[in-house]
Amino acid sequence: MSKFKKKGNKDIPGVNTSALPDIIFMLLFFFMVATTMKEVDMQVDVVKPVADQAIELEDKDNVDFIYIGYPMDASQGTEPRIQLDDMLAPDYTFVSDWKQMKAREGKTPFDIVTSLKVHKDVGMRIVSNVKEELREIDAIKINYSADQRD
Amino acid sequence: MARREVGEINAGSMADIAFLLLIFFLVTTTMEVDAGIGRTLPLKRDNVEQEPIDIRERDILEILANSNDQLMVEGKFIELDELEEIVVDFYTANSKGNETDPTMPTYELRTVSSCQVQIANLQTLLESDPDNADLNREKEKWETKLALCEEMPTKAYYEISKMSIIQLKNQANTSYGLYLEVQNILKKVVNDLRVKKCEELGWEDYYELDDKTIDGQEKIAMLRILVPERIVEARIDR
Repeated sequence: MSKFKKKGNKDIPGVNTSALPDIIFMLLFFFMVATTMKEVDMQVDVVKPVADQAIELEDKDNVDFIYIGYPMDASQGTEPRIQLDDMLAPDYTFVSDWKQMKAREGKTPFDIVTSLKVHKDVGMRIVSNVKEELREIDAIKINYSADQRD
Repeated sequence: MARREVGEINAGSMADIAFLLLIFFLVTTTMEVDAGIGRTLPLKRDNVEQEPIDIRERDILEILANSNDQLMVEGKFIELDELEEIVVDFYTANSKGNETDPTMPTYELRTVSSCQVQIANLQTLLESDPDNADLNREKEKWETKLALCEEMPTKAYYEISKMSIIQLKNQANTSYGLYLEVQNILKKVVNDLRVKKCEELGWEDYYELDDKTIDGQEKIAMLRILVPERIVEARIDR
């Protein structure tokens, strides 16, 4: 018909996407390796203080975390509370029982570091009480969680 | 029978599956590193009677952080940025063995022979009571001190008074942020002094010391004697 329409199919060839899964898998593996899952659902708001001498916590399997901060749920009041695993503790006396309950096979509370993640505005009374409670059961290895300043 | 070609598996949705996984990990990821300042609280000793020791005023550095987040050292109000200098002074004022500052802890000279005498004394005590944990610990300590003397070019070193402590006092409403700032400064001073000691002794960098090797453990034990970290915290009334 038209003299401009010449032989063959002039469609742009489709982009070859066969390498796409490989690229995505590479990204996937990167994130899988770099990931640490969140340990718990936060019930309290914790803004960690900054400390340039803080060093990275090693061997996280042998660390228990205690969170102390202001409850996110308004019905829990505005006073600082202690979060143990996924629950708010009614008061500090529950800490030692909880710590003992979490004891690992063949390890004493002494062997397991307790990391205290405390909001920077919380008063020292509650922190002091928790520390005394931990001392009662010889869980004397403490790590005060803080953000590293660069 | 006609031969049938095995159809190729359609891998087109592979990318979608991978994407799905990728998004899952993206969402559940928290990249933050857990960091903190490690401390060991004093052990609770119920049955052991604390023998009365007379503590000299000069051996104690009292740091008080009050409910209004003000800092007081030895009864004087100070600013936070002054604290580091005060703590360094506490550790180093008399570190050459002379009485430079009579309000700061004394230093004692340890020599190879003085360490050997102590070890021999403890050895005789241990003969009658070989399982005494305190005596054994004490002996181990003196053996480390002996090794430290050997390590020194002069075969002797000055050791800060073993009564020297830093006393940290808080009040019920002292903010945790201030408390941690103080802890951070104490840690910083000790770390800096230990780094310096490592340089003086010609060891590797303090932060490179590996507590999983015997050599590293020994060096860390020696540094603990040279720059001890003795912090006592007064408890807050419940």
